[in-house]
Amino acid sequence: MRKFFVLVKKEVQELLTPQMLLPLLIIVVAFVFIGKVAGSEAAKTAEPQPVGILDLDHTNTSALVAQTLSKNNLKLTEFSEISPEEALQQAKNQDLKILFVIPAGFERGFSGKPLSLSIYTILKNFSFIGSRSTQSATVALAQINSALSRELIAEKAPQADPAVLQSPLRTEETVVIGSREAKISVSAVMGFISTQSTFIPIVLFLVITFASQLIALSMATEKENKTLETLLSAPVSRQAMVAAKLVGAGLVALLTAVVYLFGMRYYITGLTAGAGSGTTAASDAFNQLGLVFSAADYALLGLVLFFAILVALSISLILGAFAEDAKSVQGVTAPLMFLVLIPYFLTLFLDINSLSLGLKAFVYAIPFSHAFLAAPNILLKDYSAVFWGLGYMAVLVVIFIYIASRIFSSDKIMTLKLNFRRKR
Amino acid sequence: MNAVEVNDLKKFFGKAPAVAGVDFYIAEREIFALIGPNGAGKSTTLRMLATILQPSEGRATIFGYDVQKESGQVRRLISYLPEEAGAYKTLTGRQYLSFMAELYADSLSQAKEYVAFASDITGLGPRLSDKIRTYSKGMTRKLLLARAVMTRPKLAILDEPTSGLDVINALEIRSIIRKLSREGMSVLLSSHNMLEIEFLSDRVGIIHQGRIYETGTAEALKAKYGARNLEEVFHKIVENS
Repeated sequence: MRKFFVLVKKEVQELLTPQMLLPLLIIVVAFVFIGKVAGSEAAKTAEPQPVGILDLDHTNTSALVAQTLSKNNLKLTEFSEISPEEALQQAKNQDLKILFVIPAGFERGFSGKPLSLSIYTILKNFSFIGSRSTQSATVALAQINSALSRELIAEKAPQADPAVLQSPLRTEETVVIGSREAKISVSAVMGFISTQSTFIPIVLFLVITFASQLIALSMATEKENKTLETLLSAPVSRQAMVAAKLVGAGLVALLTAVVYLFGMRYYITGLTAGAGSGTTAASDAFNQLGLVFSAADYALLGLVLFFAILVALSISLILGAFAEDAKSVQGVTAPLMFLVLIPYFLTLFLDINSLSLGLKAFVYAIPFSHAFLAAPNILLKDYSAVFWGLGYMAVLVVIFIYIASRIFSSDKIMTLKLNFRRKR
Repeated sequence: MNAVEVNDLKKFFGKAPAVAGVDFYIAEREIFALIGPNGAGKSTTLRMLATILQPSEGRATIFGYDVQKESGQVRRLISYLPEEAGAYKTLTGRQYLSFMAELYADSLSQAKEYVAFASDITGLGPRLSDKIRTYSKGMTRKLLLARAVMTRPKLAILDEPTSGLDVINALEIRSIIRKLSREGMSVLLSSHNMLEIEFLSDRVGIIHQGRIYETGTAEALKAKYGARNLEEVFHKIVENS
């Protein structure tokens, strides 16, 4: 056992080099930096947005428009006695986001025909944060429409309730998941789920691909640096060598996952800052539906991730035996990358259960599918699917480790090679 | 008991024979050298005895243990230095020696003894604390050779042990090998350097096209072929083959 730990220590020492740690550190710092910048920009969009208004009508109705705008988190700059072109130029100079122009005769047309209001949106970038600055104006416009509609209804049908005429249909949404139900809109639930499960597939993808690359690289480097022969002649069992490589790469991959997760959390928190985290009623509804991971759920998720990493590592160890040098690692691990990419994209965009039987069997045969499906299955309380997936991955781990040990115990570890260079 | 017994040992890569049937033995405390041109099968033979490659046919034993069936026991008795061996470049010289020592030693104190012995052999002094990537080829080779003999194995399998070393270092290494052999270590080595072979080995085996054509002491072979040195013996055998 002591020799096994000596080998593991060597593997970790070999993998945790400054060349490997520096880019990781840079990525995390970049994530934190971008997150902080995005957060401060998002906070700015939460402040009243600067918009301009040019009222060429000067009536009660046009005043109502201005009033509604100022009530909607918009900082209003009023222009007067100038042409729309001049107002637009000034709006640009003052870095306003939107210019509303109420034309002369606006109120006169207010007799059942649609009114005309000109809106100039001054776009200076196409970023996600930038687009959020116009959202307050969109909300304000809906309210202007509603206010004008109420005025019109009051004038044309004084007996009627404007609220009923504006919105005659009242809905009461209930979402049902298994035996649980809660009064909440499905869009709120889907939004919550996507926020909850944003991290998991990304982290899974990163960890699996990174772990695979690491172990294949470790094998290739042993061959390239001519250290493998010396190691193979040492009085250590080949099984211990295989296990040490798996554990060493697994530990480094997990460490990387934690660092990535830390960085990404900062990044996503920054991006979603100001978006609001939902009301207490919504949070109660999510609890009622069981859409919150318990400690046991997190443990189960961790176990699934662990087995997915083990599958990836054991496959990579076999593929790594074909690598002649560090340059050929990308080539030999390419098949594994496909096995990770397919369920990654499919689970992001599709419901696997709605696929045809053949396709479904294909997706379930890919071991990593079970890792990507684990989070939604746990939320849906479909634990049997999770445990089947775990069992399947465990069987594959045993098979692949056995194959890797056989390769290590034979000539193949020295003679297997794939040459991607063009033959002359 | 002989240190090594090799009987009709063969190795095929696909259909091509790399070793077409070799027979030789090495007595205890003996230094036996395999000499032959490139591609003669020297390194493949050494690798089979070091349990890296499995023989396709034939049998080889080391102190009575079969290299194929009892490879675990064989590995406890041998130490192997491959011709183009490298060391882990991210480790320091001392870390590398410690790592390898701990794989061979039964206890930490024994591992420390191995490292102390190897440190003396390397003559690298404070440079042992530097990363191996900063070493010259000669320094790395001395480190690797020290690693190979630090455990005082019963059989050292050394493929071109002084390759890449300058004259002074090579002389030093040869005298260490000689000394350890006198203390009980058997040695199987291969080399292109005929002078080295004449100086070091008790007996030589001349291998060509995967077969051993002659074995004997350097003096006996020179007398048999009427040659002034081993180079001439080697040349005549290769020409006649």
